[in-house]
Amino acid sequence: MSTATKEKLTVVVDKPTPYTFDLGLLLANDPNPLSIGPSEREASLAAIARDGAQSLINQLLTVCPISSTPAGVLLSLPPAQTPLPREKPVPAPKAETKWSAFAKRRGIAPKTREQRRNLQLNEETGTFERRWGYKGANKAGQDDAIIELKTSTEANRKEGTTVRGDKRREIRERVKRNERRMKKNQRNNAK
Amino acid sequence: MLRQIKPRTARSKRALEKRAPKAVENPKTALFLRGTTCNQITQDALGDLYAMRQTNAKRFHKKNPVHPFEDASSLAFFSEKNDCSLILFGSSSKKRPHNITFARTFDYKIFDMLEFNLDADTFRSISQFRTKKVPVGTRPLMVFAGTAFESPVPNTFTMAKSMLIDLFRGETSDKIDVEGLQYVVVVSADEPTASATSDDPSSKPVLHLRVYLIRTKRSGQRLPRVEVEEHGPRMDFRLGRMQEPDAAMLKEAMRKARTTEERPKKNISTDTIGDKLGRIHMGKTDLGELQTRKMKGLKRDRDPHLLDDDMDGAEADEGLEEKQQSKTKKRRSRAMDI
Repeated sequence: MSTATKEKLTVVVDKPTPYTFDLGLLLANDPNPLSIGPSEREASLAAIARDGAQSLINQLLTVCPISSTPAGVLLSLPPAQTPLPREKPVPAPKAETKWSAFAKRRGIAPKTREQRRNLQLNEETGTFERRWGYKGANKAGQDDAIIELKTSTEANRKEGTTVRGDKRREIRERVKRNERRMKKNQRNNAK
Repeated sequence: MLRQIKPRTARSKRALEKRAPKAVENPKTALFLRGTTCNQITQDALGDLYAMRQTNAKRFHKKNPVHPFEDASSLAFFSEKNDCSLILFGSSSKKRPHNITFARTFDYKIFDMLEFNLDADTFRSISQFRTKKVPVGTRPLMVFAGTAFESPVPNTFTMAKSMLIDLFRGETSDKIDVEGLQYVVVVSADEPTASATSDDPSSKPVLHLRVYLIRTKRSGQRLPRVEVEEHGPRMDFRLGRMQEPDAAMLKEAMRKARTTEERPKKNISTDTIGDKLGRIHMGKTDLGELQTRKMKGLKRDRDPHLLDDDMDGAEADEGLEEKQQSKTKKRRSRAMDI
């Protein structure tokens, strides 16, 4: 009986000037002038609040895409529109190194995650091995019992060095050279 | 200025990275502190705002001998030391009772400042309302009511609005649980009266800050019916002194970082119905080949034999004059004769 006679509650908010919304901030602007006397101030402020909350919730539920997940019913909000000052300056873009400039000029793409991985498949044995580091593939053959000498390298060999440790010296040299380049880039970018 | 630290451990490096400038920024942290004279009402008000701002807020309990509008350098220092960019400073003096100075920083320098003078008579703290309290960290809905906030030129009201949005916006996320829409912060501004221009502070329009819980009822329609219940705090403010942002700093602070999101393409727009409209460049139109109205008389050389017979008489009439005219003109006049 009571349910049949119960009239529908209104959900529409009617104001002379329409609200503007910034749904990313859950914000509604009500540009209508306030008309409140001192006597019924709290009641009229509550009425303003109710209308604002109602229209904001109406807007959220009609405009934003709703998705039901096990965590709850989620509303996807648009990005915020209201300009607010940043807290810190926009970060400066990363300084270009000589290599990155060259790679850009030549269209060389950066290495992929797979290419940077320290594991590779050895085609001969069919097993995975490290590229560098402990038992790295770049050290293969340097500790063999017998190493074939090349006449050209033996001719310009430095005093006091043998073929043992040649590989190691070469890697050290490359690391140092790269460090020098890094410092040079930093020096140039600081200018 | 703090000394520049070069990280020596991974942990300190992470800590520095956390506070470094980012394209998508961390939520702002608010710092709540008090001056040497700060009465209980102002402290309660600060405490309530602190409670609403929880998880991204810090609070100092000792007195600080600071006068923000005379020398704000210690606020800038606190901002850098604590990595806070919103500062709420409470003080109370005979001249400015129950005063909360709201300062924002950009790059650890004072960006703008505004005084909110609390009305002690109408102030009610959160604990004075016997309602269920919202969980910590819930994002509020915000409503700004009144014509004062709509000013196109920046003034104290637009600055107050910007600051209050910054204070209450919480952790921005692109998704929100419908259950999380629990309460609403409503800031209503009285209409500016004609006497508002005078310096008398009591004639200035008042900002009413109210916080309400939202109750939804079934309305029999798809959308729910919303009812509100006051949650607290209840604060009425008059706006005091302000310090506007420096123009260069404002420009820097309003810059948007380039993100990976797609930038709008030029010359492509969508109209109100949702149709995609494109504007294209057509090249220069050659008006020489323009097709004008077709008339039988303007057609040329359809039956050359017949035309020739007619021509003899017409050409003889005009004689010498026509021979001097250019070739094109000649052709046109001939057509007209026909």
